[in-house]
Amino acid sequence: MGWLSSIDVLSWIVFLPTFGALAILLLPSAAKRAIQRVAFGAALLAFALNLWVYLVPFDRTKGAMQLVTEANWIPGFDIFYRVGVDGISLPLLLLNTLLFVCAVPASFTIEKGVKGYFALFLLLETGVSGVFVSLDFFLFYVFWEVMLLPMYFLIGVWGGPRREYAAIKFFLYTLVGSVLMLVALVAVYLDAQPHTFSIPKLQELAQRGALDGRHLLENGILLGLPFQTWLFAFLFIGFAIKVPVFPFHTWLPDAHVEAPTPISVILAGILLKLGGYGMLRINFPLAPQAFHDAGTFLAVLGVINIVYGAFVAMAQTDFKKLVAYSSVSHMGYMLLGFAACTTWSVNGAMLQMLTHGVSSAMLFLIVGVVYDRAHHREIAKFGGLSQRMPLYFGLSTLGIFTSLGLPGLAGFVSEAMALAGSYERFPTFVMISVIGVVITAAFFLWTIQRVFLGPLNEKYATLPDISAREVVSQAPLAVLCVALGIFPVIVLNWQGPAIAEFLRLLAR
Amino acid sequence: MPSTYAEDLARILPETVLALGACAALVADLLWRGRETRRVGWIALASIAASLLALLRQDPAPAIAFGMVTVDGFGALFKVFVAATLAVVVLFAASAREMPRHGAGEFYFLLLSAGVGAFFLVSTTNLLLLVLSLETLGLASYVLAGFAKGDRRSAEAALKYLVFGAAATGVMLFGLSILFGLTGTLEAREMAGILAGKAADPATGIALDRFRAAGPAVAIAVVLALVGFGYKVSAVPFHWWAPDVYEGAPTPVTTFLAVASKGAAFGALLRFGAALLPPGGGEGATAFSGKLGHLLALLSALTMTFGNLAAVRQNNLKRLLAYSSIAHAGYTLMGVAAMNPAGFEASVFYLFAYYFMNLGAFGAVIYYARSTGNEDIGSLRGLGWRAPFVSVCVVVFLISLVGIPPSIGFFGKYYLFMAAWDSGLGWLTVVAAANAVVSLFYYFRIAKALYLVPESEAVAYHRPVPALAALLGLLTVGTVGLGLFPKSILAACAESVRLIF
Repeated sequence: MGWLSSIDVLSWIVFLPTFGALAILLLPSAAKRAIQRVAFGAALLAFALNLWVYLVPFDRTKGAMQLVTEANWIPGFDIFYRVGVDGISLPLLLLNTLLFVCAVPASFTIEKGVKGYFALFLLLETGVSGVFVSLDFFLFYVFWEVMLLPMYFLIGVWGGPRREYAAIKFFLYTLVGSVLMLVALVAVYLDAQPHTFSIPKLQELAQRGALDGRHLLENGILLGLPFQTWLFAFLFIGFAIKVPVFPFHTWLPDAHVEAPTPISVILAGILLKLGGYGMLRINFPLAPQAFHDAGTFLAVLGVINIVYGAFVAMAQTDFKKLVAYSSVSHMGYMLLGFAACTTWSVNGAMLQMLTHGVSSAMLFLIVGVVYDRAHHREIAKFGGLSQRMPLYFGLSTLGIFTSLGLPGLAGFVSEAMALAGSYERFPTFVMISVIGVVITAAFFLWTIQRVFLGPLNEKYATLPDISAREVVSQAPLAVLCVALGIFPVIVLNWQGPAIAEFLRLLAR
Repeated sequence: MPSTYAEDLARILPETVLALGACAALVADLLWRGRETRRVGWIALASIAASLLALLRQDPAPAIAFGMVTVDGFGALFKVFVAATLAVVVLFAASAREMPRHGAGEFYFLLLSAGVGAFFLVSTTNLLLLVLSLETLGLASYVLAGFAKGDRRSAEAALKYLVFGAAATGVMLFGLSILFGLTGTLEAREMAGILAGKAADPATGIALDRFRAAGPAVAIAVVLALVGFGYKVSAVPFHWWAPDVYEGAPTPVTTFLAVASKGAAFGALLRFGAALLPPGGGEGATAFSGKLGHLLALLSALTMTFGNLAAVRQNNLKRLLAYSSIAHAGYTLMGVAAMNPAGFEASVFYLFAYYFMNLGAFGAVIYYARSTGNEDIGSLRGLGWRAPFVSVCVVVFLISLVGIPPSIGFFGKYYLFMAAWDSGLGWLTVVAAANAVVSLFYYFRIAKALYLVPESEAVAYHRPVPALAALLGLLTVGTVGLGLFPKSILAACAESVRLIF
């Protein structure tokens, strides 16, 4: 019986959207309003439950997994339905459910196949939430893959002119990462004694050095390299594609530019964070030796992301592509912070995931607003929009300043923490990364100047200001941009003990 | 105590019922002067149902009828597989575009006869019966492949199938005759015992492991026998017939060949392999079994890689599914290559996964072909919006064929990966994983044509026949449901494989 009776609050957060999707499938296609309401209701309810978990039952003084539920899923195969959260996954889960709420009003402009759109949209939410709460590697993989199909169709059907190409590119890139992860999954399972998929148990085994491939390969060596190195490489490529880490980033600009606004919001806001989360939860703890050996290499990749991403962003003429490349740059801070592996740097990197989730989501909503009105995104063709759209200008400035790291706003805290924390181990790299900070400031300020300031382009003299619906989407994010900048403790206090636990697992 | 003739007859009741049904369909069509196609179909369906019923009511204790027909759970599982495919094929035949109006009696007669062949094929370790049943299945299949008489492609398919079939079975027979010559028995189980025993070397008089003494001859014989199986399951390099035959044959026949015929051949291969090379069958046999495993692993890798790469360039849905079915034969061989019970279980499970997703895919081809008038991917333009039910089902089958969770195809692949790696075939797992990525590319060309491409007004939408729609719905539920909760099938696979080892 175990299964149904033990479904707890985390499972509700994960599966409420699925029930919403099923309900939508039962509605007639013509009932657009009802479909939108069900989608909004399901997303809001999941968020409300999640917020309650964040504030009430979750004990933030503990670094261990909490609210754990376990049920035997496929007997005889050691596959369990195991869910739980700690201070690393819970804030990300909260960001996820919040972004899905924000993305629903932004989806009201979708006209074609509304029923299919919202059903896939909610299915996507289940996939993402599921990844964050999974404590079983097999379950983690299943949820990870559940995201692919909705994303393919959401980009491919509701996207821009080159959507077919962007959709299959996204799918193929991600699937390459997934199958590498699948191979690693099988290897880890067979090597663990006793066989298990439990992530906490595997982490403990790896920390003791027991996950060394001796049960799988002769002396744990394959083609001259130790098992740990192979494991690390397979998992890292899988997650790096998702982040995306240079040179696996090329799917991102295509997917972002072609995806409809709300899907870009989800993609930048939360899907990229799954890569980072996977590294923290699985990649590094399961291959700690290889992680320490690869530290410098990871830092170099991080710096390349920061600087290269910023330079490429500067060269963009398309507003959305610019934001997309700025994401590549911002994810570099996260990777650099992980690579340095100090308390400060990892805390900063975690916080960077959250602040970037908020600020990039906001920026994509901002781009969506102007695109809906002008039907193009060429930065050079705008000008003086602040005169006609003051509220929009205000929100945009807030989003952009958060993203470029203005002190007092969210982005500053996380970037500063990540860089300062990394200085101890990689002083040179941090110095180089500062170039990225400067370039980011430059291209964002230049963008503000070209889009909002200067003489008004007469073609856009009649554009209406941001609507109430659009404000609803952006307001929670705007509040968070300020709140996280002034009181980062609302996250830091939650994640601190869990990160201490993470560092304990990685201690040599 | 030897069983009586009546008891033996009762043991092959499912086969008998099916054979009688075949004759009944033929005679009934003659009596109705070929005007009652639908009613003949009902007779076929009824005899399949009766045969299934007889199967399910069979005594579960393993027994041997007439000294050569093994009646056990393993055979029963595969017979259920074949019968369930036959039932679906009968339904497909009722709604396929290219089925001739006349000759329903012959069609169902041949189909059910092929079914009888498949039934016997999965229930014997006797080499004579193995060859006979393989030929029964084969002969009926050759004629079925050419059943669309006016169609040149169908005639070509029949001829190709026949020529390749004759050659492959000939080679197989030669191999089996060597085995018979070495051991003096037709029973594979006895052969294993004889080969494992000691014998005095005629020249030196020293006692030797017989297997080692006859090593090269056994190796040649087994490899030659493998050609016959490789042909039936369409493994590279014995696959050349498959694309042309799959494309040319009427779609219901293609379905039968791709699912029932292939499944039964895999069943026979597993049974034959387990009987001839049981674990603990002596030093020589174990060493040989290891080598054979590597050979099969190589075949598996080649088969899946070739099938997937060749499928990428196809524009005809049936031809694409033909290459895809070659690739899936490669995946299934992964478990056989493991040469142990866990691997065999994984193969049997994968065949069930294959049943759901491939029958679904062929059903969709039949439906789309009626709407568009051909089987080209290009003509599906935007059909997903007009035929939402069938197309959503198709997307589910596609994710299962690629092996993305939550679907039965994913769990099947996972199980195969696990079994192969656990038997020291880690490299094969990596090859198979890379293949999954390639397969995504061509399978999702179908999804792309259905949903991403703008709609074309040229395509007429018509409602699917209710029976076909219901069937596709059931297969979809099975694909997802059994992918999430595979427990029941896993138990049946483990139980049946235990019986043959």
